[in-house]
Amino acid sequence: MTATAATTATAAATKAATATAAAATKDPVLKVNNISVSFEGFLALSDVQVDVQRNTIHFFIGPNGAGKTTLLDIICGKTRPSAGTVTYFPQGREMIRLTDLKEYRIVNVGVGRKFQMPSIFINLTVWDNMILSLKGHKGVWDSIFFRPSAAERADIEQMLERFDLLEQRDTIAGALAHGQKQRLEIAMQLVQKPELIMLDEPAAGMGKQETFQLGEVLREICGECTVIVVEHDMEFVKQIADVVTVFHEGKVLMEGSISEVLADETVQAVYLGRGGER
Amino acid sequence: MQQVIGVLFNGLSLSSILLLTAVGLAITFGLMKVINMAHGEFIMMGAYTTFVVQQLFLSFAPGAFDLSYLVALVAAFAFTFLFGCVLEKLVISRLYGRVVDSLLATAGISIILQQAARSIFGERGVNVTAPSWLSGGISLGGVTFSYNRLFIIMLAVLSLVLVVLIMRKTKFGLQMRAVMQNRDMARCMGINSRRIDMLTFGIGSGLAGLAGCSVALLGSVDSTVGQLYIVDSFMAVVLGGVGNLVGTVFGSSIIGFSSIGIETGLSSADIAKCLVLLIIIVFLQFKPQGLFAGRTRQLDE
Amino acid sequence: MPIRKVSSKATSKVTGTAAAAAAAADATTGATTGKKSLLQRLAKSAGSPVVFAIIVIGLGVLPLLYSSGAIDSTAMIIFSGKCIALAILAIGIDLIWGYTGMLSLGQGLFFALGGYCMAMHLKMVATGGNITEFMHTGGLSELPIIWRPFLTFPATLVLIIVVPAVVGGLVGFFIFRNRVKGVFFSIISQALTWAAFSLFMATSPWTNGNTGITEIKSVFGSIRGDANLDHLYMLFYVSLGVLVLVFILATLLTRTKFGKLLIAIRDGENRTYFSGYSVSRYKNTIYVISAVLAGIGGALFVNFNGSISPSVMTISYSIMMVVWVAIGGRGTIIGAVIGTLLINFGEYTIASGSMIQAWQFIVGGIFVVVILFFKGGIVGIFTSQLPAAWRWLQARLGGRGQGKGADQGAGGQLAASQAGSSADAEVG
Repeated sequence: MTATAATTATAAATKAATATAAAATKDPVLKVNNISVSFEGFLALSDVQVDVQRNTIHFFIGPNGAGKTTLLDIICGKTRPSAGTVTYFPQGREMIRLTDLKEYRIVNVGVGRKFQMPSIFINLTVWDNMILSLKGHKGVWDSIFFRPSAAERADIEQMLERFDLLEQRDTIAGALAHGQKQRLEIAMQLVQKPELIMLDEPAAGMGKQETFQLGEVLREICGECTVIVVEHDMEFVKQIADVVTVFHEGKVLMEGSISEVLADETVQAVYLGRGGER
Repeated sequence: MQQVIGVLFNGLSLSSILLLTAVGLAITFGLMKVINMAHGEFIMMGAYTTFVVQQLFLSFAPGAFDLSYLVALVAAFAFTFLFGCVLEKLVISRLYGRVVDSLLATAGISIILQQAARSIFGERGVNVTAPSWLSGGISLGGVTFSYNRLFIIMLAVLSLVLVVLIMRKTKFGLQMRAVMQNRDMARCMGINSRRIDMLTFGIGSGLAGLAGCSVALLGSVDSTVGQLYIVDSFMAVVLGGVGNLVGTVFGSSIIGFSSIGIETGLSSADIAKCLVLLIIIVFLQFKPQGLFAGRTRQLDE
Repeated sequence: MPIRKVSSKATSKVTGTAAAAAAAADATTGATTGKKSLLQRLAKSAGSPVVFAIIVIGLGVLPLLYSSGAIDSTAMIIFSGKCIALAILAIGIDLIWGYTGMLSLGQGLFFALGGYCMAMHLKMVATGGNITEFMHTGGLSELPIIWRPFLTFPATLVLIIVVPAVVGGLVGFFIFRNRVKGVFFSIISQALTWAAFSLFMATSPWTNGNTGITEIKSVFGSIRGDANLDHLYMLFYVSLGVLVLVFILATLLTRTKFGKLLIAIRDGENRTYFSGYSVSRYKNTIYVISAVLAGIGGALFVNFNGSISPSVMTISYSIMMVVWVAIGGRGTIIGAVIGTLLINFGEYTIASGSMIQAWQFIVGGIFVVVILFFKGGIVGIFTSQLPAAWRWLQARLGGRGQGKGADQGAGGQLAASQAGSSADAEVG
């Protein structure tokens, strides 16, 4: 009972915090407005409200089943919410309501998503994987006569270089090592030139060193786009997070900087205390 | 009024035949996610088993011929059950998770079984004689309810009830549902999932054999008899919602009654078949998961 | 570039020295690796055109063999012509199933549509544009409207393409827009064909029902008997030309970005959506293409066969078509051609003798074995199983020193193509 009271109290505090944050930067790239979703009566998300500021690295954390991945699913159009909307504010363009769009349209307006397991095209070469991910040229007719321009080729090469995959450009993607697959998928997302990129547990299966490097890459790309990350690795969160939103049982528990989050007693109770449980 | 009752009875009769053929599919397809293209051939095997049993009775115990059909029911179930188990062991068990490949492999089996039937029984159809206690019928208000159709309706209901009882009331049923929902988890709980898989597929096949017995009463039996029912039964399962027995009952009834209804209205069985299939296909565009499907977290299967 | 530096350290365990070398002299090393892979690619891509050329030459000399007396009946040539028509259909099946991963069990429908278009025209030629006997019997007194366009040959040619394309396009539009996929697509395509079968049976005054359209000659006139050898040869070579054209176009198509997308859709449909592609539109396009190829195949088939009936729309026939592609090797255009020719010629030679009983057992058995153990079919045996066996043998005999890197690469490809698991594992 007290926990619920505390939750509502912190939720109120969160709202206030978000409001001040928004007032400070005033440039949200994404607004999640009162999203609820249920699966066969199970409420996976209820009345979730999150703002993501442009050119920040924004973490969603929380125990398993807290609804983080579901929220990503809703933003990228994989799952339809039962209620609420997601609005997206691309730079220099009109606001777009993502919850009205089909998933491939969402990608084309500049919102990319990397899934938890590496999902690349295993029977195509690394190069072809990149070609398919290039921004634009998504039409059927276009695809039959498509030849990448010199600039686009240079772009891909640069991206592969950045992720140390240039050597593997003619390798069938299915034959890559796990870490290479992870990097390829992120490279594929970036060559898409998204304004907002969502990464679901990108460091899963990576070593400490590799995770750190990934963090550095994310720091760098953050200048060009906004990054949303779902992650369990607290070291990783501490390394790069600008803002952290904590989810618990389908609700936003609190939002703030990593030090604020770690200091919060409710978070410690519901998350840190039970994080290792499952 | 007479015509209406006649149509309803015929519709009920066709529905029950479809239900009999579809219940087995509902198990193999709905629960195990195996598209058994040889299901129609299992029906055929059931029908031929009935024929063989009758021939044996004629040769060795002509006096007890009336019992032959009852023996055939048991024999058809047993034979197709065993065959299903063997098939599962040899072929299907290697293809779990490869749904389309299981469809193709069973299609290959169906080619072999059809040829086997032709090789053994010849190209021409054979006829099964209805036992005396199934010939004739009762006349009520000018409409004749033939015994064999009433029997088929009863058989359909009986096998449905049996399946439900097995699934809901027995330990085997519980294990079966566990395996079908999460094979790895069930295995961790000490359930011999390979055995359950085999028996489940066997039961699905055995039900096809029973369906074959009843189909044999309706017309001549040849190597392609299963093909007549296979599309309709697949559609019944899909229409009702895969993995849902109640849905299969509804699916079969909708196809059965509407086929007979349209057939009576337009006096062409072919047009009726065409229209019913098209209507279902159009319906599935709006509800691809079938009539009885909830919103689940899993998007793909 | 700090990232480049740090991340190269991460993989240095495996490719450490190679990476260092590449970084040191990237221009030259890059050039050589590029050349090597180009050579490999050439070797890989030259295989199927060479095999296809051999097949075409083999088929092409059949008329010469007859003229020189090496074969004693034109039946063989007529049969080969049918096989050519079926190979065109099989290429369509391969594009939609082998490449895109959608198992259509209803290609017989489009084969029939193309075939009936051609047959209706040929029937009109035979009757001189008058109404046919079966129409009389069916109670029609004048030529039905749907038969009128087939009075002229140009219109017929257009319709052979347009009718399957429109039907396929419409069906595909609804099916794919609503994201019906996997086995549900297979079942629906099968039901659709079954429905069409019933429709053709039911509308006998227009289609002659069960019997179908018979007593027709080819577009070049009768092809039976030695007197009409010219007609037969003409038809045969035109068909062979169409097959060559279709083969080339299909091969080129698979090498475009469109072709890569088909594979992408097969391996990870959802991932393709999340790369920004309207997968349903791509699926619809390839469905229409395969429908048109089936239609063209049907139209050519009728010329050789001299009749067409709804039996081409039975379930077993559509499944048989898939069997050809599976045995030949799905996912390679040449595989579709090889499978079709092999199975049909096999049937022609074996099933005509005392082995007629055994043939279906053989085909069914081979098919099941292929599905279970040789996913790549005959082509796959040559491109993955045999090389793998060879490598295994080499490793056994102790030849590990040479070409380790290349071996790893090839082995990896094999693993990737055999894995069968898809990128959708998590996305879906």
